[in-house]
Amino acid sequence: MEILGYLILGFQTAFQPENLLFCFLGVLTGTLVGVLPGVGPVAAMSLLLPTTFHVPPVSAIIMLAGIYYGAMYGGSTTSILVNIPGEAASVVTCLDGYQMARKGRAGPALGISAFGSFIAGTLSILGLMLVAPPLAQMALKFGPPEYFSLMILGLVILTFLASGPMWKALIMACIGLFIGCVGMDSITATFRFTFGLLELSDGVGLVPVAMGLFGVSEVLFNVEKSMKRSVFETKIQNLFPSRKDWGESFWPILRGTGLGFFLGVLPGGGSLIASFVSYAIEKKVSRTPEKFGTGMIAGVAGPESANNAGSGGAFIPLMTLGIPGNAVTAILLGALIIYGVQPGPKMIIDHPKLFWGVIASMYLGNGMLLLLNLPLIGIWVKILKVPYPFLFPLILLFCLIGAYSLNNSVLEMGIMVLFGILGYLFKKFRYEGAPLILAMVLGPLMEHNFRASLGLFDGRLPGFFERPISAVIMGIAIILLLLPLIPGVKKRPAIGDAED
Amino acid sequence: MNNDQASSGVFFLIGAAICLGSIRYKIGTLSEPDSGLMPFLVGAAISFFSAIGFFQASLKKRQGEGWNRIWGGYLWPRVLIVLACLFGYVLLIKPLGFFFTAALFIGFLLRAVGPHRWAVVILGAFLIALCSYLVFDVWLMAQLPKGPLGF
Repeated sequence: MEILGYLILGFQTAFQPENLLFCFLGVLTGTLVGVLPGVGPVAAMSLLLPTTFHVPPVSAIIMLAGIYYGAMYGGSTTSILVNIPGEAASVVTCLDGYQMARKGRAGPALGISAFGSFIAGTLSILGLMLVAPPLAQMALKFGPPEYFSLMILGLVILTFLASGPMWKALIMACIGLFIGCVGMDSITATFRFTFGLLELSDGVGLVPVAMGLFGVSEVLFNVEKSMKRSVFETKIQNLFPSRKDWGESFWPILRGTGLGFFLGVLPGGGSLIASFVSYAIEKKVSRTPEKFGTGMIAGVAGPESANNAGSGGAFIPLMTLGIPGNAVTAILLGALIIYGVQPGPKMIIDHPKLFWGVIASMYLGNGMLLLLNLPLIGIWVKILKVPYPFLFPLILLFCLIGAYSLNNSVLEMGIMVLFGILGYLFKKFRYEGAPLILAMVLGPLMEHNFRASLGLFDGRLPGFFERPISAVIMGIAIILLLLPLIPGVKKRPAIGDAED
Repeated sequence: MNNDQASSGVFFLIGAAICLGSIRYKIGTLSEPDSGLMPFLVGAAISFFSAIGFFQASLKKRQGEGWNRIWGGYLWPRVLIVLACLFGYVLLIKPLGFFFTAALFIGFLLRAVGPHRWAVVILGAFLIALCSYLVFDVWLMAQLPKGPLGF
């Protein structure tokens, strides 16, 4: 009954005209950035973050969350029609979605992707609503060692699941931790690695780094290639899947939802992994696995449901523990701190309007997305036809404006350009940006909890293994770290740059 | 030398530099940690993981994995043009103000990378700069830098 009362409060908050408008703007922007290849949700959220400083935190978080799950919806459109994923979590949708389009079935592919996303998104919000409050209650018992261990586990899972060798992802995570150390030490008030620059006394800003790594570097990576792309010329009809399509998609949608939600909850997991695992499972359980890759609707329904459920699940570690599981929720954590809200187990109690308002807005946002995606597919296709040589100067200009307007600082624009170059080089040498961003956000929290734990244990590192929860979490992290060293343990499949 | 050997070598040096830099801020002890402890441990971890990477890359080198030309076959001069534009924007925005710098930035990119006709370049640069100014400065009150003419 208590949850019902809070949910009513949430809907009262979400139905306020201002919040409805921001929810709509969020899902619309999310769909747009999902549709446009080369602009991901991290860059879009970073770009729009400074513009939300004049609005209440609830409205701002509603909009930023809308961008995240909206991007999951929009990403499938480019995968199906152009064979280019709009964002990383839709990579696997290309395999069967594009083949369906080539066979004249673009309509059912887009339709099942929208309906599957809606069902998965709604069910995952239900899960978030039921799981988050008890988990937050449990997390109240956590001390600095448990928090430190959890953050270590989150980083290790992300590096374990990253594409390429694990040492590369670990280096990226460490670089992120180092960037998190820049600025004033909160305990001794010592300025570290600021090189005398006053702007760096509060640390390196998350927004310029994220926009550089995910926005500018993506543009640099794209402009060096031929910038022509062709949208598949086909008449999009029968957006509502047939009874046969529904029959083939029902179980993949449900399996994708469960799997996506579970993987989304894990720190370091998220939509990208969920979509890949879902595709692998659908292929495994199918009676005709050999037909996957030739236009099977289950190969679209499962992964698309999984990536949407994953985005809902990813809110759980953020809202209950204050630990972001991926780069997008890391941006949300940064935003919450900027708005003066400390995410963690007490957030649900201290800011019920914000927590339940965001949850209720997600229900509304999912409905809006369904209404947006089906009738507006024609418009998204037209947007896809905007030539990239016109698009990329705009993306760069918006990134520059976003970096400047955060603190009216030219230095932050310079930092963004610098990280754009670094991000471009990282891509060239096959290093991922996601562990860096996550570690950068977690860095100050990790350092604080690490030093507090050392104080508790009188400097003894084995102390982390003397408390049961911390010992279990650390144990899992160590096993994952050592797993690639065991001969015969197969490296997981490459999953591309885990932008989400 | 292959790509991973080169990159892990660079990261090894970066890790070592971070360790050296951390000593300036005092490391302290595990029971009484000081400001330099965390960056020191992070720097050491970077060097450690890059040493593992260098070792693995060297094994691959023995198996015949050589240098992979990362700019081969790409239009890399375009990257340099874009970077020059970005640096130009950062340097010029204070003296020229947002509107003129944005127009120059967009115009230059449309002409040099596009490449588009002059009419498209001039019209596109003017309209994009104007719309961005109206949206961000007037509507969203982003307080973008003003030039000599007040915008």
